[in-house]
Amino acid sequence: MDLLDEGLVAVVKRDCPTCQLVEPVLADLSRAPGLRVFTQDDPAFPAGVADRRDDTALDASLALDIETVPTLVRFAGGVETGRVVGWSRAQWTELTGVADLGEGLPEHRPGCGSRTLDPDVADELLVRARGGSLRSRRLEISALEDEAEALFDRGFSDGLPVVAPTPARVLRMLDGTSRKPDEVVAVVPPNLVEATVEKVAINAVLAGCRPEYLPVVLAAVEAACTDEFNAHGLLATTWAAGPAIVVNGPVRAEIGMNWAGNALGQGNRANSTIGRALQLVIRNVGGGRPQGVDRAALGNPGKVGFCFAEDEEGSPFEPLAQSRGVPAGRSAVTVFAAEGPRGVVDQISRRPESLARSLALGLRGVVHPKLVRGFDATLVVCPEHARVFADAGWDRARLEAALDEALLLDRAEITRGAGGIDEGVPPGGSDQPLPKFRPGGLMIVHAGGGAGMFSAVIGGWAGGPGGSAPVTREVEPWR
Amino acid sequence: MAVNGTRGPGSLVILDPTDESSPDVRTAIERPASLDGLRVGLLDIAKPRGDVFLDRLAELLAERGITVRRYAKPTFTKPMPPDLRREITTECDVVIEALAD
Amino acid sequence: MHDFVALEGRGVVAAFLASSEFVQAADAQARALGYREVPSVFVPHPIQDRTDEEMRALADAALEEVLARVTR
Repeated sequence: MDLLDEGLVAVVKRDCPTCQLVEPVLADLSRAPGLRVFTQDDPAFPAGVADRRDDTALDASLALDIETVPTLVRFAGGVETGRVVGWSRAQWTELTGVADLGEGLPEHRPGCGSRTLDPDVADELLVRARGGSLRSRRLEISALEDEAEALFDRGFSDGLPVVAPTPARVLRMLDGTSRKPDEVVAVVPPNLVEATVEKVAINAVLAGCRPEYLPVVLAAVEAACTDEFNAHGLLATTWAAGPAIVVNGPVRAEIGMNWAGNALGQGNRANSTIGRALQLVIRNVGGGRPQGVDRAALGNPGKVGFCFAEDEEGSPFEPLAQSRGVPAGRSAVTVFAAEGPRGVVDQISRRPESLARSLALGLRGVVHPKLVRGFDATLVVCPEHARVFADAGWDRARLEAALDEALLLDRAEITRGAGGIDEGVPPGGSDQPLPKFRPGGLMIVHAGGGAGMFSAVIGGWAGGPGGSAPVTREVEPWR
Repeated sequence: MAVNGTRGPGSLVILDPTDESSPDVRTAIERPASLDGLRVGLLDIAKPRGDVFLDRLAELLAERGITVRRYAKPTFTKPMPPDLRREITTECDVVIEALAD
Repeated sequence: MHDFVALEGRGVVAAFLASSEFVQAADAQARALGYREVPSVFVPHPIQDRTDEEMRALADAALEEVLARVTR
């Protein structure tokens, strides 16, 4: 591409009226030595220029960091000493030292976008400049294959269409983090494979994430692959639960997550794709597939991906992440084992004591109304229920204590055989009531739309050591 | 723009989202140990005289205790129509397709 | 070959029989669809001018190979 050490360099393209306007000016300047013109599209343009170079490969344009054409640059001693963008008689005269340039032309005319900024070209250039940083195996989908079908056929999908992870898309995804592509994020079960930032980014592309979601996905992968969360056990169990993610902190608004109406449902890209990206990492990198290591008898629709944000602003409670040790004002994800949510109606209770007992009754059904302490659960308190607690000045700890008290179950009701049902807790020597959940086995989150006195119970899986405990990780380290 | 040297015309390059432990080409699905108890289909692609060949193949398989269902494509020049594909995939575990020349 | 991909993609074990003239074309088509090879049996060309007796003999000769392509 040979830039000049001394003199003027111009970058133009024929497909730009301003470049066509300055064509005679460039021809005039070319009568004296020391002008080199690089052409982005048509090597025969502009006419009348002696030292005209083909820059259809855009190497010179990239080296000069051209954003607009025409651009005129002066070099002295191999160093850029001045630059004019677009056409301006005064500026061109000053830069070139040639008087009376462009007779008959308007005084000034803005330029056009450089070809380096065309979307398709930008992708090519991105891959050319940084594709070498990508280590993943390149696969070819041939011209005879339908792209969407090919991605299903190769087994990369959870059953819904995925976005083709082209090198350009993966590079743009990687712009969402300052971490290097080859850094290891976590060792992913079940096959205990090291997942690099690049592999997570590829799966985030498949899932449909935007680059700004990537730090959240990375934090979720980190959290899910901890020993405490035990994603391997959660995958391999015949129980229906899968990993779910609650997001806290400023990142929720930054990436446009939903914590309001239909927070647990469809329709928000960040909510839908972040949870999906985690599941695709477990599927594709970890090798965890349904009817393979994933032994779920039934599964649940949330296993396509289950992620939502907490409504912190409208909540009477301290944000979940803060209650789990994250400093105020910082973003974090909490992963937890989740079945599908089920609603709990209470449109009558205006006293917090009554409402807490009501919600406790809903929680009692987790795993089985006659079984205790095996499984964890999450309660999503809706804003209209939260208002009752807020008005009474109840915080998270007060509600937890009230739920725990209401969930001390009478042995007579839950012993095997009671109520004519053989299932239940084995008969024991003591008459002491039994707590439904282990200490720390019930998590409370606040989310949902402003109307509807319907909270939700999300059953979990076996809690604690040997099972799965919720795990919180900060997002900031992954930005 | 080619991002690797071996890319064919009009193809799309993607990055492997997996742990890369399996081959990078597609392979035929796993074969059963034997045809015992499986539903076997013979698909006639409608080339002339293919039927004679397939009739004999059906006889030979029958001698081994393998009963086959017979299917025929309307034309060898196109992929099978969706109805036929549906019929075969619900009725067969194994399909032998013949005879292209 | 598209039929092969369609069937295998839906979990049906498939094999493809062709005359020896087809070896190269089948190979090219398989590669274009992302396979290095497709389970195939090739019988000697030509086909269309064979007598019925010759066709049956081709089937007799091909049987073992056909079974090998659809089983382990």
